[in-house]
Amino acid sequence: MWINMGPQHPMTHGLWNLRVKVDGETIVDAEPEVGYLHRGIEKICENRTYPQIIPLADRLCYGSSLTWSHLYCMTVEDLMGVEVPERAEYIRVVTLEMQRLASHLMWLAAYAVDLGMMAGFIYSMRDREVLVDLLQSLSGSRLTYNYPRIGGVAHDLPPNWDREALRACNYIETRLKEYEDLYEGSKIFMMRNVDVGLLTKEDALDLGVTGPPLRASGVRYDMRKDRPYSVYSDLDFEVCSRPEGDCFARYRVRIDEMWESCKIIRQAIQRMPKGKWRTVAPRNAPVGTGLGRVEDPRGEGMMYVVGDGSDKPYRLKIRSPIFITVSAAPSMLVGYKMADVVAIMGGLDMCIGECDR
Amino acid sequence: MEDYRGSCMREGGRSNQDPTGNIERAPLTIGEDPEEHVLRTINDEFGKSVEGSERVRAGLIRARLARDSLYDACKLLRDDLGFEHLSMISAVDYPDRFEIVYHINSYQSNIMLELIVKLPKDDPTVDSISSIWGGANWNERESYDLMGIVFNDHPKLERILLPKDTMYHPLRKDFRM
Repeated sequence: MWINMGPQHPMTHGLWNLRVKVDGETIVDAEPEVGYLHRGIEKICENRTYPQIIPLADRLCYGSSLTWSHLYCMTVEDLMGVEVPERAEYIRVVTLEMQRLASHLMWLAAYAVDLGMMAGFIYSMRDREVLVDLLQSLSGSRLTYNYPRIGGVAHDLPPNWDREALRACNYIETRLKEYEDLYEGSKIFMMRNVDVGLLTKEDALDLGVTGPPLRASGVRYDMRKDRPYSVYSDLDFEVCSRPEGDCFARYRVRIDEMWESCKIIRQAIQRMPKGKWRTVAPRNAPVGTGLGRVEDPRGEGMMYVVGDGSDKPYRLKIRSPIFITVSAAPSMLVGYKMADVVAIMGGLDMCIGECDR
Repeated sequence: MEDYRGSCMREGGRSNQDPTGNIERAPLTIGEDPEEHVLRTINDEFGKSVEGSERVRAGLIRARLARDSLYDACKLLRDDLGFEHLSMISAVDYPDRFEIVYHINSYQSNIMLELIVKLPKDDPTVDSISSIWGGANWNERESYDLMGIVFNDHPKLERILLPKDTMYHPLRKDFRM
């Protein structure tokens, strides 16, 4: 029997449909259906000038908008050959890691409520507020920041912002310890996570899964370490990975990444040089192609831009990590029970905005 | 930690994978630059159908290939050269041709390969590589949906982002907004 979970279902976190074929309670086949939120961003971009696309790139993902506008700026800088000042790179790294923390905390909140733990939702969302407030004081908005620019960032840090950021790091770290106790001390949480949604290393590599699910399946690959962009090569942090490949491993990888993000923010603020935070980028891009690749909170984000000498991109292709990860969902779902679907799909950190573009 | 294995529903349980998770970064050929090695192997094996290959920057190489040898080249890339991750498939509509750009990544040697295949305007078909990398499946469906490229032997070539009854391919340049 085929059952439609979605497009309106508490499990889906946005509009998408998961069709599952069940034999009694056991899943024998599954088929995700996406596209409900397709806005044609790639086509809209072909009719906008290069700076006009930055706020559009923000709207790709409501959970981690800063990563996408940063990735877009990086791609166009690669096409135009623009050098970014060092201070801007450090500011970008600090804000990117804050965005990663905020995104992972939002995932943790949604995951907790998926598994029926309302307390986890309230605590995680409360602590995400600290980071969102900081980013708001920096850029003026709370969800889509529109902060990076081609050739730097929009403006310098406000006074005392770096001190507040360090305090936020300390706060988040004390809270992270509490989360570990809260979640891993819950017997129900552990029973619904351990050994559920197994994704083997071979499957993960074959199906193109990236980001935390890949690292939770035993592949230690993180773009920030293995193919460093921005100033990540100067910073000291660990790549978090787990060998098990189940839902609990994916949860653990994200928690460990939050610890590492706090470490990165501290180092970047201490090393941040004084100086310019923006250079002037040309209006028109040359004929050629540009490629950008970052470690999004959800996986490998990539953009490929083709310039034709005018002030608008000829083509902008966006690689969404979740689009590919959700195509691998059947290999995680088959063999488990209906009740595990929520845990397995929740553990992937779905974001439909970037998936459907 | 308490043992929660009672909840395991599938045979096998927690897999016994390499606990460190480290990728073995073995050089492909000792004494040779891995990027040079990849370029040389492609040129040796598919000399006639390679229309140009270059090193763009450190870690990124580019090769242009005739479409007939795409499938064999991809098989060689995955099986012999260690390119285990297909990142992205982009289709570009130029005035005189279509181009499909495959970004293929190797975790072992940490190289990104940009493989470009040209397709004529009146016959935009190419072999599907979803049997080599499972991750190509949805990428190819997306290119079919938005650009109208037909992938031969694809397991399920249907629209993915747009409704099934859409009559056009919106990313083509002749589709006006």
